[in-house]
Amino acid sequence: MKKRIVVDWGLRLAVFIAAVGLWELFVSTTQNFLLPRFTDVARALFFLVFSEARFWEALYISNQALILGFAISVVVGIPLGLLAGRFRWMDRVLNPYVGVLLTMPVAPLIPIVIIALGLGIAARVFIVVLFAFVFITVNTRAGVRSVEPSLIEMAKSFGASEAQIWRRIVIPGAMPAIFAGMRIGLGRSITGMVMVELILVASGLGRLLLEFSGRMQSDLVFATVLAVIVEALALLAGMQALEKRITRWAPDISIG
Amino acid sequence: MKQETVAKPAPKSSAARTVVMPRGLRSYACRNLPEVLAPLAGAVLWEVLGWSLDLQWLPPFSKVLEALVQFVGSGVILANLRSSLQALIIGFCLSLILGLFLGSLMGRYRYVEKAFDIYVHALFVCPSIVFAPIFFAIFGLSDAARIAIIVVYAMFVIVINTATAIRTVDPSLVEMARSFGCGEAQIFSRILLPASLPLVFAGIRLGMGRAVKGMINGEMLIAFVGLGALAEKYGAQFDAAKVFAIAMVVLIIGLVSNALVQMLDNRLTRWAD
Amino acid sequence: MRDNGGGVLALSDIDFEVHDNEFVTIIGPSGCGKTTLLRIIAGLIPYNRGEVAIDGRAITGPGPERAVVFQNFALMPWADVLANVTFGLEVRGTPLDECRDKAKDLIKIVGLEGFEKRLPKELSGGMQQRVGLARALAVNPRILLMDEPFGALDEQTRRLLQEQLLRLWEEQRKTVVFVTHSMDEAVMLGDRVMLMTPRPGRVKEMIDVPLQRPRSPQVEKSGAFVEIKEYLWENLRAMQVGES
Repeated sequence: MKKRIVVDWGLRLAVFIAAVGLWELFVSTTQNFLLPRFTDVARALFFLVFSEARFWEALYISNQALILGFAISVVVGIPLGLLAGRFRWMDRVLNPYVGVLLTMPVAPLIPIVIIALGLGIAARVFIVVLFAFVFITVNTRAGVRSVEPSLIEMAKSFGASEAQIWRRIVIPGAMPAIFAGMRIGLGRSITGMVMVELILVASGLGRLLLEFSGRMQSDLVFATVLAVIVEALALLAGMQALEKRITRWAPDISIG
Repeated sequence: MKQETVAKPAPKSSAARTVVMPRGLRSYACRNLPEVLAPLAGAVLWEVLGWSLDLQWLPPFSKVLEALVQFVGSGVILANLRSSLQALIIGFCLSLILGLFLGSLMGRYRYVEKAFDIYVHALFVCPSIVFAPIFFAIFGLSDAARIAIIVVYAMFVIVINTATAIRTVDPSLVEMARSFGCGEAQIFSRILLPASLPLVFAGIRLGMGRAVKGMINGEMLIAFVGLGALAEKYGAQFDAAKVFAIAMVVLIIGLVSNALVQMLDNRLTRWAD
Repeated sequence: MRDNGGGVLALSDIDFEVHDNEFVTIIGPSGCGKTTLLRIIAGLIPYNRGEVAIDGRAITGPGPERAVVFQNFALMPWADVLANVTFGLEVRGTPLDECRDKAKDLIKIVGLEGFEKRLPKELSGGMQQRVGLARALAVNPRILLMDEPFGALDEQTRRLLQEQLLRLWEEQRKTVVFVTHSMDEAVMLGDRVMLMTPRPGRVKEMIDVPLQRPRSPQVEKSGAFVEIKEYLWENLRAMQVGES
């Protein structure tokens, strides 16, 4: 068993080294002086993380929209999903809108949000919410629908009230899907945050990227992007770990 | 693993004729009353609020439709639409080729799977838009950058679904083929390929949706041509009706492309559940 | 009791009585409405005409004097055995300590001592149903309603649970209404067997089972048992043939 793990990681390391090697090769053969070497990017990353206060400042500003937006998405999305899951008529009314919001790219609407809310944090938060909340709703609804009707019947047979059914059967039963929805919503929130940053380059990471781009400091551009990727992966891994702890008993039915 | 259950539309009765259709449509509307009423109500509300509130960012629904019609009439949107669709098609095809190839290898050979799984998963899970600045740096303000973004958006969901599809083919089928003397290539073409098709198509459908998002998201950022650029231009002009109209165009593109993939799916996988 | 179903007429002209401490089994072909009838008695489905009464008082919904054991166990997959057994008590507002104590006793009685912390998915079908039984008994119902409780189990487990059920019943002598597909089960367990016909569901006959209690597995070989079972099968087979 242990040997397998070693072999697996060896393979992954090999792929990594091969990728870096290809990268270096590509950079040295092309004349594109905007293309940084792997080592340059690594150095730039260290610089950003350890010596550049503005990086952390930008991170803070950008993440404000992320955290607020995600929180609002959860607060709006979960109740909507619960209602849609439990009450068929509500589900049918919401269905067309949900369908549209799921498939339609939110990005084209960003200029409209800007017209409405300006360039400040309100617009950024709203955009993040737009990106994320539908996925939370849809997964929550699926979770509620996935609760075995026989369990609800069983609870009724013991005389449980509607409130008790909600608290003891529907919500615990829907938990895995709700958490999956939150994990997906988190990913979407990050997407929204990044989209916002890159389009409304007024503040935060977007501003930094614009600056580095403008000054042709592509190693810093790459490093910043790498930092965002690392943050995204870390947040999502954390969410997934939380999800696993809460829902050891269930199979995977996530949407998105 | 993120997978979508493949939902097949019900087969249409072959006895449907034009005489029957209007009645059929009415009965459909009656049966699905909430689903039909809700968007209608929304449209009406939009219209009313648009006129009464007179907000810059909320034009009446009719004005949006007007802009849409205008688009279709004038040539303005056509050039941009063509540019967007071109990038979409090239990007999607590239994603298909790369995705199916890598996915098949990962599904079939455990070593390939273990070598690439964490990278594929990481790239799948993280917001694909972050790569836009990188591609911009590499390719500059060009079509290559936009296509690269589409590939990043669409490829990994195809890889993961394809890998899972091939990995979960009933091993007894493979065993059966071996027992009749089939070689590697035959097992692949006669067993693995057809058996994995439904799930692979699920991945392709998802990939199509992702590609459309990648197209528009990429264009909003690397905004020099295409629908995204148009949206930004009209946004800068505070012409909300036109921006909404573009959003609707993108939505239509998404729905049509999804329907196309679904049609292909149905024809090729009629035997599946 | 006398009641009718609405919409698709599920039941018609049902008129029978169950006495205290009696074990009544209900048997009939598929579609005869026996499960519907049980759920009406449980108060889970409303009925259009007629009346279902306990001690003369009509029922309008589920009540504390009745408890149900379900065919597919209906256990909460996220809760352990103890939590599942205490569910019925908790819902009625019993303080948690009391619930736990009662539950632990019952868990011991159904033979699952030591499994309190396990999740349903870690248990076999037979064990899961024992949890369902413990949960129903925990609320100390006057009437136990069992809806093909052993239907989802293999034959060996089924027989073991039948024996266990009989043993438990001997001690407590609750009133039991037990729906089943199996003639063996119907005769083995019941004091009376209610034979139903389908479409719409009707009571054809109430058959007495005068076999000695306590019932042991040997009773299956007795003449009386075989006779009653044959009688049941004749009737049931006729109903099946009539359908085609």
